[in-house]
Amino acid sequence: MKRLFSILSSLLLMSGIGAQNRFPKPDFESGYQYPDIQHALPNEQLWLYVDIFMLVALMSFVAWAILKKRTRKPIIWVSVISVAYFGFFRSGCVCSIGSVQNVSLALVGHTYILPVSVLLFFILPILFAFLFGRVFCAGVCPFGAIQELVNIKNYRLSRSVTSVLSIIPWVYLIFAVLYAVTRSSFIICRFDPFIGFFRLGGDFGLILFGALLLLASVFTGRPFCRFICPYAPLLSLFSRVAIWKVQITKQKCINCELCHNACPVDAIRPPYENKVKEQRLQGVKRLLMYFVVLPFMMVALAFIMRYASDDLSRAHKEVRLYDMVQKQEADPQDKITLELESFFGQGGKISELKQKVNVIQQDYKRYSTIAGALMGLVIGLMLIKLSIKRSRKEYEIEHADCVDCGKCFSYCPQNSICKSVLLK
Amino acid sequence: MNNDNNLKNSPLQRRKFLKVVGMTVAGGSILAVAGVLSTKTGTKEAGHLWQIDPAKCTQCGRCETDCVLSVSAVKCFHANKVCGYCDLCGGYYRSNVKDLNTAAENLMCPTGAIQRKFVEDPYFEYAIDEDLCNGCGKCVKGCTSFGNGSLYLQIQRDLCKDCNECAIAKVCPSDAITLVPLDQAYNLKG
Amino acid sequence: MKKIIARNIAIITAIFMITLSIMLITNYFQAKDVSPLQTQVVETLKKLNDQNADNPQLQEQIRQLDLMARKAYFINMDHLMRGVYLLLGMLVVFIVSIRIYFAQHKDIPDKEIDLIDEWAIQSQARKYVGLIATGLTAVALLFVVFSMPFMQASKNNTETALAQKDTNSSIVGNTINEAPSLPEETIETNPVENTGSIESEEESVSVEETPLSSKESTTEEIDVASVETSEKAETTAPVSVPKVTSNAFRGNDANGITQAKNIPVKWDLQGGSNIAWKSEIPRGGQSSPVINGNRVFITGADAQARELYCYDLNTGKLLWTLAAVNIAGSPSQVPKTTEDTGLASASVSTNGKQVCAIFATGDVICANMEGKQLWAKNIGVPDNHYGYASSLLVFKNQLFIQYDNRNTHKLIALNTENGKELWSKERADKIAWSSPSIAYVNNQPQLILMSDPSITAYNPTTGDQIWRVECLMGEVGASACSADGIIFGASEYAKMVAINGTDGSVLWESMDYLPEASSPVATHDNIYLATSYGVVASFDTKTGELKKEHETGEEFYSSLMLVEGKIYLFSNGGKMHIFSADDEFKLLDSFETGENTYATPAFTDGRIVVRTDQSIYCVKAN
Repeated sequence: MKRLFSILSSLLLMSGIGAQNRFPKPDFESGYQYPDIQHALPNEQLWLYVDIFMLVALMSFVAWAILKKRTRKPIIWVSVISVAYFGFFRSGCVCSIGSVQNVSLALVGHTYILPVSVLLFFILPILFAFLFGRVFCAGVCPFGAIQELVNIKNYRLSRSVTSVLSIIPWVYLIFAVLYAVTRSSFIICRFDPFIGFFRLGGDFGLILFGALLLLASVFTGRPFCRFICPYAPLLSLFSRVAIWKVQITKQKCINCELCHNACPVDAIRPPYENKVKEQRLQGVKRLLMYFVVLPFMMVALAFIMRYASDDLSRAHKEVRLYDMVQKQEADPQDKITLELESFFGQGGKISELKQKVNVIQQDYKRYSTIAGALMGLVIGLMLIKLSIKRSRKEYEIEHADCVDCGKCFSYCPQNSICKSVLLK
Repeated sequence: MNNDNNLKNSPLQRRKFLKVVGMTVAGGSILAVAGVLSTKTGTKEAGHLWQIDPAKCTQCGRCETDCVLSVSAVKCFHANKVCGYCDLCGGYYRSNVKDLNTAAENLMCPTGAIQRKFVEDPYFEYAIDEDLCNGCGKCVKGCTSFGNGSLYLQIQRDLCKDCNECAIAKVCPSDAITLVPLDQAYNLKG
Repeated sequence: MKKIIARNIAIITAIFMITLSIMLITNYFQAKDVSPLQTQVVETLKKLNDQNADNPQLQEQIRQLDLMARKAYFINMDHLMRGVYLLLGMLVVFIVSIRIYFAQHKDIPDKEIDLIDEWAIQSQARKYVGLIATGLTAVALLFVVFSMPFMQASKNNTETALAQKDTNSSIVGNTINEAPSLPEETIETNPVENTGSIESEEESVSVEETPLSSKESTTEEIDVASVETSEKAETTAPVSVPKVTSNAFRGNDANGITQAKNIPVKWDLQGGSNIAWKSEIPRGGQSSPVINGNRVFITGADAQARELYCYDLNTGKLLWTLAAVNIAGSPSQVPKTTEDTGLASASVSTNGKQVCAIFATGDVICANMEGKQLWAKNIGVPDNHYGYASSLLVFKNQLFIQYDNRNTHKLIALNTENGKELWSKERADKIAWSSPSIAYVNNQPQLILMSDPSITAYNPTTGDQIWRVECLMGEVGASACSADGIIFGASEYAKMVAINGTDGSVLWESMDYLPEASSPVATHDNIYLATSYGVVASFDTKTGELKKEHETGEEFYSSLMLVEGKIYLFSNGGKMHIFSADDEFKLLDSFETGENTYATPAFTDGRIVVRTDQSIYCVKAN
């Protein structure tokens, strides 16, 4: 009786405190103790430090190997380590490529707090690119490394085609930033082709895409890095003006053409004498024309993107939810989606949602206009770049494209002469 | 003026000049971006780990299917301190159950991950075998609708790959999955 | 030698890898479709077991299947994991061996696929870039052109949003207390709120959108088609059409709430102040007016004819009349009705495309907005000692008729377009004079009917009963109202109940004051009602506690209407009472309008349309 009373009173008490506790806490008579439950908790902080350390160490190692030693051997080992550690062990997150999105979100979002590790992952490869060229791409990036490891034979692609394809990374980057700053989606992370390998499972379509990319990279150098990777354009901007640039050889180039064939990413330019085949005036005219067209192209693309912004905004969860709500309002269904169920279940107010969606769509309008203008700028600059002539007397590395894989060193006869001299 | 002459006369000079300009711009922009970003960082508050807010979770069942891992990193957790130790447990038994025994037709969990142990009359202790749990949330739904809500879904730290963008958060209908700082690794109930 | 071994290893591992991946892929697709843990068979068997217990065979079967399912699941998982690891291991061996094989391989000068001249390459690339850029632009433009209607629609949505924002702010501008919270809180029921308002606004926007979109398109100079429509719109609709509709008895959804704004607070029929127009109604009746766009609909009937009238909202001119004649099954002798009920007591209802009317003879007629009869039918002569009085309710393209008489007890749903019966439900209730209304519960519409002895909710689409609460008795004349998913029903000599719309549980009951013919109206916090003997009272919606009461000394048959945070209520003698719809429930004003009023007025922006004994008039601030 006493116990019944206590249960009743505690029930009353509970119902006063919270509706959740329908059943009272039992008072055990057998001296039962609540089990002490420990949830698995690896020391994540430590791994973040290890990540940063590995990043810096591997990049410095690559820089040393290609600038001082001019040898490729260490790069293979760096690739293996990177695939094993950053790839399989750390499952490829956070990677520098994806960090672009976090950083751009932090730059515009007032509420987003950027983890220091992500900032370092973003800025360190760029800093190294500015100092030594794209040493990050050489083998530290697990995506580059896995392609490097499977690469066997290099079939060359037509230069004119590849230079057109190199617009794709820019467009991808612009869209990734657009979706990141509007807090819609991290598309770089979502459509990552290699992450499925590192995690031993994932979306079938993406794994298939990754497998095809790997297969392609057996026969031609790094298709992902060259034609898809949205981080590469940033790095190539900086490696173009790198302070210590990689050179094929210290000796004089003998124009033997061997290195040109060795390069998997087609970054070695043959000598070119500026024999004028067309009137200089015509070239200047064309250049001027492109400069005039550039702003028009930017405005046109900006306009198109602005026009499409409402459609683009459907990438945002709340916009989609609002669409669903409206559909439901127009034609109430008995069976509603999970999203609507929880929206209504949690007492969501349509007017509030509408306001939120309005803000999002305004954001989209603004940012997609900028994105469109940037795309116009990229295409326009590409055209301008392609209409500038540069004379070269010998084989030279195009530092924007060079991924510092170090393949050319062993091909250069001058290098082996140097070595053999040393050996003697 | 002198500069202008150089620019016009010698392409080599011009290249050198452009190179210096490029280097300054590049170095400057790195410093600027790093400077701006460092004001936006914070180790304490910055979100690193994905966790479910049990108060928001609606047990829609997407945790089971949408995780990038083949078996979801979301597991059922049990807050013993909230549990009522009921014999007729809404998370352990299906609704409309007739006999309170361990026969397959009576149990809620599709993988048999909930273990039940007799404590004393009329109390039973429940525990989750996390190796078997697939995060479907059926038991959680049962416990929340008929019980104290001591069973809840949570992301297990050692399994979670800490994706930059959680695939479940993307589809969660109630936005229950958020990033939490490192030092509060678990969003636990009770 | 080493090279050959490496090559052979590479070949063998490659073959293994290919077979293994094919196996894994087929396995993946097989397992994708059948999730062993959620097989339909086991679930249905379990349900069967729930229904008839103590069937050991069935239980045994479930246990067997369950065991198989779990086994299949875990073995599948195990295989997948092992397969992937095996594949990974082989990949490593393959890469190592193939690297050994190609260790000394050099890429010798190849046939140059490019043109020798760098400038030529650049020119070619330029051409490609140009081509692709123009191609992309063309595709984008094509896409823009094709998605035009879609874009237009989404633009209209934002306009609706803006319009609603405007309405909110304009209400804020009004000085009436508590008004700002009105659009969110009072309109509809349930957590979803606003449902009613949005629907009504959407409808209204569909009327107004042509001039609006024309403005958009002319400024952007893109859509030729909409420019044309704008021109058309300018010629056909020079006068602004009021946005807010009042599609049925007691407003849209028959819930006693309207979104109308700028409603006059004082008028006088004799002096003519604030009276826009007044017209005689050819035949008498008790039905209430209904407003859609610029049209006002009302019925009148006597022994000679039963007629549906359409008046112009702006001028009061009788636009058209449609008589219910030549209907198969219509009685030659009109049924007996009492003086104060008459033959045209039920109000009409419309959806902006069709308007439907019903008379005490059982005749239902439906016309389009221009007065052309679409269909007519007799649904059976009602056996009703006062006269059939339940108003119609049109919901989308469905017409609901509460046909509770002495001989028939039915709820009928007809297609407004052709009069075909969509569904019909026999009711276990007795005769009633109450009207159906729509309540929104968790954003789902419920059709609420009141009768003796129950309040019943139906699914409007299918007619399935959602819940039924037996709580009433006697002659039920008032209709239900709802707020926040709670349905309130009250009737004289019975009681007032609040019902949770999700499960049909009774939240509270009250017997302090009960209405006879006048229907109550509810906000988020309060429910207001008027009795036939002159008491107007407010109750707490959460507890049912009596909050405020006013003794007016009047008689009330007309229903309360909630407008702009105020309650408008006509007494039978034509005295207008305006209360504040808040916890205070103050009598803000009361004045004589001049003529007896039994019907419930209809509201739209800036206007009230009232039916009196003989005539119909429109109130508008001069």
